[in-house]
Amino acid sequence: MSHGKIAIIGIGEVPTRIMPERTRWDILYDVCTEAIRDSGLDKNDIEGVINVAPQAQPKLAAELSFGKLPEELGLKGCKDNCTCNAGGASTSNCIRLAEQYITSGLAKAVLIPHVTVHSTVKPEDLISFFAKAGVDMQWEYPFGTTYNILMGMMANRYMHETGAKPEHMASVVTALRSWSSRDPNSFFYNKEVPSPEKVFSSSLLNTPLHKRESNILCDGGSAMVIVSADVAKKMKKPAAYKLGESVRYFSGTPVLRDFHKVAEGLSLTGVEAMKEAGVTKEDIDLWNIYMAYPMNHPIMAEALGIAPIGEGAKYFYDGRMSFGGDIPWSTIGDAPGRGHTGSGVSTAMYVETARQLMGKAGERQVKDCKYVYQNTAGGSGFNNIGTVWGRDL
Amino acid sequence: MDAQDIQFDMTRPLPETQPWSVAFWENAKEGKLVVQHCKDCNTNIFYPRKICPECWSKNLDWIEASGKATVYMFSTAYDMVEPRFWEDIPYTIAYVDLEEGIRMMTRIVDCKPEDIKIGMTVEVVFKKLNDDFYLPYFKPVESK
Ligand SMILES: [Zn+2]
Repeated sequence: MSHGKIAIIGIGEVPTRIMPERTRWDILYDVCTEAIRDSGLDKNDIEGVINVAPQAQPKLAAELSFGKLPEELGLKGCKDNCTCNAGGASTSNCIRLAEQYITSGLAKAVLIPHVTVHSTVKPEDLISFFAKAGVDMQWEYPFGTTYNILMGMMANRYMHETGAKPEHMASVVTALRSWSSRDPNSFFYNKEVPSPEKVFSSSLLNTPLHKRESNILCDGGSAMVIVSADVAKKMKKPAAYKLGESVRYFSGTPVLRDFHKVAEGLSLTGVEAMKEAGVTKEDIDLWNIYMAYPMNHPIMAEALGIAPIGEGAKYFYDGRMSFGGDIPWSTIGDAPGRGHTGSGVSTAMYVETARQLMGKAGERQVKDCKYVYQNTAGGSGFNNIGTVWGRDL
Repeated sequence: MDAQDIQFDMTRPLPETQPWSVAFWENAKEGKLVVQHCKDCNTNIFYPRKICPECWSKNLDWIEASGKATVYMFSTAYDMVEPRFWEDIPYTIAYVDLEEGIRMMTRIVDCKPEDIKIGMTVEVVFKKLNDDFYLPYFKPVESK
């Protein structure tokens, strides 16, 4: 499987903001050059480019899929280029494919870039895209469902089963924003961290989801360079080694996704990824959890055995996952703190995983960070991919 | 950009059918809630498929459901829905478990949102979209 074959050796990122003047190619130039310079490799050492599929940006998707990026950047050594799409799980698949490029001998180094600029997409196109993505056009969409409503239903069920209070649920936002307020690349950098009461008192979008528990659509981009674990070792540079991975598929259509089977899948992927990496949950220094919405974080905390069943939301309320708490968690604040950049939030999560393991996370740096558990998921939650990354092999 | 420049689609979306799901909507038009059924492995299937997802049989039929169901989970929308659904706000989306062992997405209607509870018993009521499509909504069994 994936144990110890590849490493992230270079990362690049621009701040996530709402900045329509920053074009997509502008961002791509910046993140790619920064990632390659950070890797210590020459641009012509990049032999493969695997693009994270940009959602809701069909023109860019076509340009990237058909090979424009190596040409723009003058990557003279590039042997191939493609795009991977699995929604929020795209980046995980780009990394898997990079491993294939590398272990098959096709490429010594692979560049994985992502960019999303939401602010120049027509509002009606954005609303329509997010209303339809990941829901069934026959059995769900005609009833008037949305991502927010799907998340609200899950949260209602969770609260019904655990007795968690709305202020407990709201405290997840407080925890996530406590990290993003200290992350220069997050939309909420240097912004006030709202108390659970303030989150809870924002207007109700759909029960039990409040305005401050939903996402802000932003622009952003990031990139990483992947090499073999052997090459990374020889380069004697800080790197993030991929040590373990596990995945479960749930369903394409939300209504066929059973609440308990999802919780079981979140748990199993964690257990299996850690087993492959040869670590236990006590070894994990950072839980870099990507749920896109705050309300599912307590379910993940319980599935991973970090909080007892029924007490996940209480853990957030008690500040244990916040900056300064005893359980470092989603240190860019997931989508609610970072700002939503389509499938790019999961790319940014991998970049943060690498940044933490490389010891470059500044004020957010988790002390002596040796192991990171990171997950991604695609669509409206069709799957869950759990990975373990280490500072050393 | 000015708000008046935005061209929202305000038409009601219709179910995007497949040849093997047409019978579901034909029955809905007659006020009947039907469930696809595999005659080979005896499975009730939702949503309808071209072949049985359990055994790949094409020996598929329809059974009429009792129309009774239990609310599994729900959320009531007050804001941030597509403009084409604005006129319905507030409305409640739910997953309901039918007596036939399948789970559907629907709306809970004919009651106050605050009276909707997980586990409550509901029954089907059809909402006309146009001459071809009637959506299966559900209402509390107690309500008039
Ligand atoms: Zn069958």
